[in-house]
Amino acid sequence: MAEPGSPPAPPPQTAPAPRPAGNLVVAVLSAWLLPGLGHFYLGRRLRALAFFLLVVASMLIGVKLEGNLYRVVPGQPLTVLATLGAMGMGFPYFGLRYGLHYQGNVMGPGYEYGTAFLLTAGLMNLLLVLDAFDIVRGKKE
Amino acid sequence: MVSHFLLMVLYALLVSLFFTLLWRRGRREQIKLFLQIFLGMVGGGLLVAWLMYPFPSGPPAPIP
Repeated sequence: MAEPGSPPAPPPQTAPAPRPAGNLVVAVLSAWLLPGLGHFYLGRRLRALAFFLLVVASMLIGVKLEGNLYRVVPGQPLTVLATLGAMGMGFPYFGLRYGLHYQGNVMGPGYEYGTAFLLTAGLMNLLLVLDAFDIVRGKKE
Repeated sequence: MVSHFLLMVLYALLVSLFFTLLWRRGRREQIKLFLQIFLGMVGGGLLVAWLMYPFPSGPPAPIP
């Protein structure tokens, strides 16, 4: 306890808060929009390039194999989940769906494999969105 | 003609590389995790295929 007349005690020293790596909304949205863009925005340039190549390679292999790019089918609730997963790849999903009018070929020999590759591309990008979120929040380097 | 095995290896390669870059930083740790995931997926796939070998394939699934 301070004696009467003595100067007030200085406030307790606290560690300075770490500077945010970037804007959370920008990082998450850019990460979703284009694979690797979120990491690029956060300064992880090499990893961004590697992630972009991996996700796009998975998507292109899926397209080459004429896999199914999921869309919601009425009466089949699981297709909602699958569509959300595939939409995880961001702009490429909409580019394929509405720009190139891509449709898989159910009779194609690689249909099932292609579907797995396309869905995996979306799910990988969703994980990249979560990773960008964690980086901005300081939970990950 | 692309074989089932080649596609399985390609898939395992992409997924293992992705998780290696996502989860590990050090080169040594990355190699270790990559091998764990890659060999686990390819070896697991071959093991399941071997276990399923005695069972008949049955009629083809109907096209939705």
